[in-house]
Amino acid sequence: MGYKILVINPGSTSTKFAVYDDESEVFLENIFHTKDELAPYPDISSQYEFRMNTVLKALEERNWNITDFNAVVGRGGLLYPLESGTYEVNDKMCEHLKLGIQGEHASNLGGLIARAIADKVNIPAFIVDPVIVDEFEDVARISGCPLIKRRSIFHALNHKAVARKVADLFRKRYEDLNLIVAHLGGGISVAAHKKGRVIDVNNALDGDGPFAPERSGGLPVGDLVRLCFSGKYSYDEIISMIRGKGGLVAYLGVNDVRKVIEMIKNGNKQAELVFEAMAYQVAKEIGGMATVLEGNIDQIVLTGGIAYSEEFISKIIKRVSFIAPITVIPGEREMEALALGALRVLRGEEKAKTYNPPEEI
Amino acid sequence: MSYLILVVNPGGGSTKVALFDDERVIFSENIRHSHDELKRFPNTLSQLDFRVSVIRKFLEDKEVELGKLSAVVGRGGPFKPLESGTYRVNETMINDIQSGRTQADHPSNLGALIANKIARPLNIPAFVVDPVSVDEFDPVARLSGLKELPRISLSHALNIKMIAKRFAKEIKRRYDELNLIVVHLGTGISVTAHRKGRMIDVNNANDEGPFSPQRTGTLPLTGLIKLCYSGRFTEEEILKYVHTQGGLLSYTGTDNVLELQTRAQNGDNEALFYLSAMAYQISKEIGAMAAVLEGKVDAILITGGIAHSTLVVKEIKRRVEFIAPVEVYPGEDEMLGLALGALRVLKGEENPKEYK
Repeated sequence: MGYKILVINPGSTSTKFAVYDDESEVFLENIFHTKDELAPYPDISSQYEFRMNTVLKALEERNWNITDFNAVVGRGGLLYPLESGTYEVNDKMCEHLKLGIQGEHASNLGGLIARAIADKVNIPAFIVDPVIVDEFEDVARISGCPLIKRRSIFHALNHKAVARKVADLFRKRYEDLNLIVAHLGGGISVAAHKKGRVIDVNNALDGDGPFAPERSGGLPVGDLVRLCFSGKYSYDEIISMIRGKGGLVAYLGVNDVRKVIEMIKNGNKQAELVFEAMAYQVAKEIGGMATVLEGNIDQIVLTGGIAYSEEFISKIIKRVSFIAPITVIPGEREMEALALGALRVLRGEEKAKTYNPPEEI
Repeated sequence: MSYLILVVNPGGGSTKVALFDDERVIFSENIRHSHDELKRFPNTLSQLDFRVSVIRKFLEDKEVELGKLSAVVGRGGPFKPLESGTYRVNETMINDIQSGRTQADHPSNLGALIANKIARPLNIPAFVVDPVSVDEFDPVARLSGLKELPRISLSHALNIKMIAKRFAKEIKRRYDELNLIVVHLGTGISVTAHRKGRMIDVNNANDEGPFSPQRTGTLPLTGLIKLCYSGRFTEEEILKYVHTQGGLLSYTGTDNVLELQTRAQNGDNEALFYLSAMAYQISKEIGAMAAVLEGKVDAILITGGIAHSTLVVKEIKRRVEFIAPVEVYPGEDEMLGLALGALRVLKGEENPKEYK
């Protein structure tokens, strides 16, 4: 008999959920919430009961009873920095998710909904590898200015999931490998995984590293300061330039790599240059991470939605294949990654970790 | 027969003057100009005649026979972007400098003007060599991630090109058939990728890349933007911080690497940590340039004042040796770089470039 796991992944305007029987997905559904439905709630965390009931109702319609499940797992939110792993959702965590201790985000609802459902039938609730997973070595925290720290914020769930998958492929333990994983999505994060720990990664959210479909990545700092003081832009406008209107959007007005490839096929030279430049910057970031690992790298792993583009991947491979062999695992399987995280604990392969951050950070 | 070359390198409060017999230095001195002497001039360019007369007097005292000079070479300024090389000082260059068509007002702009003033009556050529604005970027290197902020090529080109060529000579190859990563470690840090004689990418040492003794280098942008809009700082304050008061200075209170090295060797863990952090970021930039060169790297050359720090060099080597062999050329010799640039042209090894 397999373990039955309910997986919950809330987005800003929808709640995705799935049922897993061990590693196999039984079904997956994405329920969209209209503006009107969400309007009555003053903030994201107060939506949790509404979203939970929507999920419960949908389960009922599919003739699932929550007593069928062995565990509920939710996407983790903006908690205090923590080690990678599967965490049991405890009271402290719920409190911090409700407060949005490092910011409001739809993913904060994942743990809250999981816990509320699990409590009804006395089964465990988990979260797995939230974006604030932090395994930096101290040297990676230094930026060059004491007022600004480098922070570990990245696509940890997918990074860790594909890293384990690659370890399985090569019949090794993740903890025995050195990997460079590049997650190529709407944001791009390139991380150095040293024996199971992500010791450095560019912070795609804060403007660091390669540019991405919607983000600027790192920029020349002096010129950026001048732009901030030019009087032409408000704070919010500058932030949206680096996050939302940067990268491909800034140069080409589109955020979809498939469209860029179409533009190139139609002879658009600017599109060709911008596409090349994005790959160039990703390759440079991978090269940087190779020195973090002192050249001892077992595999470079390319993942995320853009990894489906062979045109893009080949441009990166040309520049970094000297570092290590390359494995491409396109796409992002968040639901599977969450289910597998819960499954490892249910099977006793891993212990659930306890969220217990220091009082003051 | 050998060539006698006069080298002029104007700085903020001084002018360095040297005389070379081929590549051999006869003398190299730093003539200081007091604040009182300079304060009567409204701007840098108006100091031209004053500095020329000081140099003439100095050369007289040194009993240099001007008639025996083969050429005068000056430090190039932050000109409009141009290819690497030795440039004859021509009318266009002089006009551009005098009418402010340069990237910044900087004492080095006087180099070409002084060289020209001295050379012209003697009917000998005046040159400048590899100014900071040498630009050999591939188009792909010019994009940042935001249209408004292109990446630009500013570097310690003079020292970097000299070291690259010296290395090539040592291994009996030509610079333009090698792929090199050349790292200049000074108060600013330039990490540069050279493909077959062209410097196709470089972190702009003012604005990008690793932190240095005085500069912050790349920063996480959200934090920087918040500082800009905090109302606590003016634009000048933040720029001053980013360009002259960040990096090692901001973490440890000193920008003296050798002092920090001594402290680290005496058990000061904080000094050790921040030196390692700087080496860590320098290494990451070297790794990035290795990807620019697709891993085809003949050597990594480390030069500049900080290359005297065995600790920093060791930390970098450990991380980057897998890419290519590392050679270290400590120090920086701008005067020699200028002399060699002129000499290559005088000997006919290189054609002088035309400034347009």
